[in-house]
Amino acid sequence: MQALPKPGPIDCFSDLLFIPLVSISSPAPRPATSQPTDGDKPAESVSRSAFWRIFTSTFITIFLAELGDKTQVTTLLMSAQSQAPMMVFIGAGTALVTTSLIGVLLGQWLARRVSPAALDTAAGAMLLGITVWLLWDIAHL
Amino acid sequence: MDWNLLALSFTAVFVSELGDKSQLAAIALGGSSSSPRAVFLGTAAALLLASLLGVLIGEGTAQVLPERLVKAVAAVGFAILAVRLLWPGKSAD
Repeated sequence: MQALPKPGPIDCFSDLLFIPLVSISSPAPRPATSQPTDGDKPAESVSRSAFWRIFTSTFITIFLAELGDKTQVTTLLMSAQSQAPMMVFIGAGTALVTTSLIGVLLGQWLARRVSPAALDTAAGAMLLGITVWLLWDIAHL
Repeated sequence: MDWNLLALSFTAVFVSELGDKSQLAAIALGGSSSSPRAVFLGTAAALLLASLLGVLIGEGTAQVLPERLVKAVAAVGFAILAVRLLWPGKSAD
């Protein structure tokens, strides 16, 4: 798909969690370090509200999914055995930030190589897979 | 500074997180979202808070939080995100 002009920000950001129009019309999402000189940047207030919407929905789902998961089990086991729980937290925290950065960068790398429609389908299928994974966890707790 | 402990906890968590739910979610959301930065910050903040709670509460976590309920809510959240990506028209309008 060729580079279409960006759709109006209001249409896009009316969506609660995602902006399918933007992801369809821009195959290569803006990298995490976006230039401030970007010409077609939407109005700052609008992009900020979209930022917080995406941030919040991501935060809540990941946080709930991760509570009591094996990372936390590892963390608390190590802190229980160790005299320096803060060192454990710093090590674990650095690892978690690194894995999420790798994940997002990998997603963006894929986004540049796959057609937007296929990407949305694949991402949706992955999220459904995570849903099933969580349900499996619940059934086997 | 206990560098061994730091390296050990980094490696243990890094390896256990590779290919885990939250990283898969970061791949899916980071690729399809218009704001990958928000996805990264949201994911990192959620993981940091979850593991900070793990350190602070320690073994009490299992008693404090109904784990099944928390995971069920998370499952519903991911299902909503998935449906919105797969069938954007239905929920967007």
